[in-house]
Amino acid sequence: MKDGPEAAGARAWAAMAEGGLGLEIDARGLSLAAAVALARGAALRAWGVREKPRGNLLVLTAVPGAAERLWSLGAPAIAGNLFARDLVAEPANRLTPAAFVERLRALEAFGLRISVRGRAQLAREGFGALSAVGRAAASGPYLATLEWPGVSGQEGRPIALVGKGMCFDTGGISIKPARGMAAMRADMAGAAACAGAMLALALGRSPLAAVAVLAIAENTTGADSYRPGDVLRSLSGRTIEVVDTDAEGRLALADALHHAIAAHRPRAVVDVATLTGSIVMALGHHHAGLFGNDDALCEAARQAGREEGELLWRMPIGKAHRLDLRSDIADILQCAPAGQGRQPDACHAAAFLREFVGETPWAHLDIAGVELAEAGNPLAARGMPTGFGARLLARLAATPAP
Amino acid sequence: MPEITFVKSALPKAGALVVLLAEGGNPSALHTALDEASGGAVGRALEAAGFKGRKGQSATVWAPAPGISKLVAIGLGAEGALTPDGAEAVGGAIWPLISAETEATLAADGVEMPVAVRVALGTVLRSYRFDLYRTMEKPEDKPKLARLAVAVDQPMAAKNAYAPFKAVAEGVFMTRDLVSEPPNILHPVEMAERCRALEKLGVVVEILTPKEMKKLGFGALLGVAMGSAIEARMVVMHWNGLGSAPAKGRAKKPAPAEKPICFIGKGVTFDTGGISIKPAGGMEDMKWDMAGAGCVVGLMAALAGRKARANVVGLVGLVENMPSGTAQRPGDVVKTASGQTVEVINTDAEGRLVLADVIHYAITKYDPKWMIDLATLTGAIIVALGHEHAGLFSNDDVLAGQIEAAGKATGELCWRLPLSDAYDKQIKSDIADMKNVGTRAGGSITAAQFIQRFVQGRPWAHLDIAGTAWATKDLPTAPKGATAYGVRLLDRLVADHFEG
Repeated sequence: MKDGPEAAGARAWAAMAEGGLGLEIDARGLSLAAAVALARGAALRAWGVREKPRGNLLVLTAVPGAAERLWSLGAPAIAGNLFARDLVAEPANRLTPAAFVERLRALEAFGLRISVRGRAQLAREGFGALSAVGRAAASGPYLATLEWPGVSGQEGRPIALVGKGMCFDTGGISIKPARGMAAMRADMAGAAACAGAMLALALGRSPLAAVAVLAIAENTTGADSYRPGDVLRSLSGRTIEVVDTDAEGRLALADALHHAIAAHRPRAVVDVATLTGSIVMALGHHHAGLFGNDDALCEAARQAGREEGELLWRMPIGKAHRLDLRSDIADILQCAPAGQGRQPDACHAAAFLREFVGETPWAHLDIAGVELAEAGNPLAARGMPTGFGARLLARLAATPAP
Repeated sequence: MPEITFVKSALPKAGALVVLLAEGGNPSALHTALDEASGGAVGRALEAAGFKGRKGQSATVWAPAPGISKLVAIGLGAEGALTPDGAEAVGGAIWPLISAETEATLAADGVEMPVAVRVALGTVLRSYRFDLYRTMEKPEDKPKLARLAVAVDQPMAAKNAYAPFKAVAEGVFMTRDLVSEPPNILHPVEMAERCRALEKLGVVVEILTPKEMKKLGFGALLGVAMGSAIEARMVVMHWNGLGSAPAKGRAKKPAPAEKPICFIGKGVTFDTGGISIKPAGGMEDMKWDMAGAGCVVGLMAALAGRKARANVVGLVGLVENMPSGTAQRPGDVVKTASGQTVEVINTDAEGRLVLADVIHYAITKYDPKWMIDLATLTGAIIVALGHEHAGLFSNDDVLAGQIEAAGKATGELCWRLPLSDAYDKQIKSDIADMKNVGTRAGGSITAAQFIQRFVQGRPWAHLDIAGTAWATKDLPTAPKGATAYGVRLLDRLVADHFEG
């Protein structure tokens, strides 16, 4: 069990349960924690979009009662992770922005309060950046808010989770190359992770309040697309010069972050997004990028990730990264212009987002590269969604501020 | 390099006078004296110019008093907020404002002596020019200032405090010269010869030729060199600042305290990419693909120049990576000095092949306490971090922490990136022990994983300086071009932790 019992359980499931006969694991020689982790791993690996059930998992243990109790503590996070995977796996013709919102409304059954702003309201209220990104598409944009009040009865400030939910990303006018574009159906994985985390908090009856603000849109080309060179007035009042319409995630997040902070006064805000190719070049597929303005929050996020097997690596926002975003005609450039050589776009994106969070403790998870499983990821089949972030965020949101 | 002299605080008779002022701070005695000599004109002029002493602010007053050509006022920012790094940036800002003068005095009588020294250092570092190949520049366009007098309260103490920094600045300039040289001039044989300049500082310089490297089994390094008309070299530079190991009884091995530390540099004097040739756009930049080696040479000059009390070995692998009928091909398998075999997938991932053999040699020959390699290794590091931080990889948290701290102290920043088995798997080969590239994902990390396979578990760190070795615009203490990134950081690392 080189990479832990969870991975071992997952590998066991992948190897043995393909035939639809299920799996029995004899965990009597293992600790209680390891036995339950084996079951968690198998349960995660057993997720699939095919309809046919593949049998049951039976774990033999000397202490079934205790194992059941421990399992039930972890089950909400698994449910949240799998909910996120379901969303990410959906193709973009099925999971349109409107359909995404409908899927979120179904979470009301678990005690979450859902409210949704549509295109007209967003435009009216000044969500200029999100509105621009989504306006060429037939569906959306939306800003969906999911609230969990917490069961402690205390009026604590919530943690805010902010997710990028680009149901499909063509790149817009700065259109992407055809090759590999199909993977852009997963460009809403950040929002899916936040929604999954909220489901986990509700199922686990988390004592602490949490709110998720999801920017849901489709970035497509059209006669009414926003353009490179456009200047947008964001919800915060700051003006943004667009350089590349394919750097749309940070625009949507700018408005969502500002709204989350202004409307909910959170104790901390964490955004999650499949934001940049640069982070894949930097960290590959085995860590997500972690940026932030608050060391304690970042460390708490990193720790939560370690405990859930979702690894984060802290990345810098240097002085130069902000200076690179000076605009000649607006408050800030959306990204550094291409044609100036290779660019640390993940760091630039983080420097950009920082402008919209003010003094609130903030962490930014760039999960591009880990939202779909690469070879060697035991918890999901190759190429399939990982649900990365849902478990980490659920743990972080259920942990009192450091 | 302009000469820095430290003088007693007195109004100069001629030339420019530079004054430093913090926001809300009081003018220094010299500043006040000049104001009086000008009949209050200086104070009025600075006020009219809106000069408040803000960070980055400067103002010039021409001919403020008889004999004095101009006054340059430099803002230090909030009083007491000046960091050493910031002090150097202040010094750097001074240079363009006074370089056309023939004489200049810096009034540093109002600041602490260590700050004054770092301001002077910043000015010197910013003054670098690489002029060898400019034959038609008009004399009036060249900087004229050859000497900067720094007025302080205790000139002797300041002079002593500045001396080691002067040696470091000389090392920085040496590195910048090497990195700036064009590739037709500075090829492996020439660069090796230039290392001999260190001998006059007391460094023992050994040069190994391909014949000797072949005997040592340097299949990876020599494979890279195969395509070039110019032979490869390895240069080993020894600085024994602790003296040679004293004979203690009959002990044959030196005691652990006397083990050296090793710095290893990638020295690809030009990198075309080889058969996996690079695109034409920007290929001229590849003259600085020897900046890791250039840094090690300048570092040795700095350490020897200030007589560092440490035993240090610097090793550089020097090759040129060319496409030709004799060049290495993608698909070739080479055997490294360590015995491990490498499938060459991409001939443009050549730096790690050079380092593999040199690192193995450093370990077997010198049994170092720890080693650090520097290399302009991957384009991916620029996409990851940009140009402000170098990438830091290490198998030793203590060493990595010390390097990060030294980087902060010198303004040569680095940022740690991960290593793990999961990344290591990306360089598995089907027919050899490893391949020389993984996929694009995590490209800097897999390069570091490759190098790690040659360090035998020894304490080691790797600095990927592809984003920091060369600046496309002026920096506070370096004109655009070669930065010599790493010389000051590593000199500081040695000074802080490894001098007896």
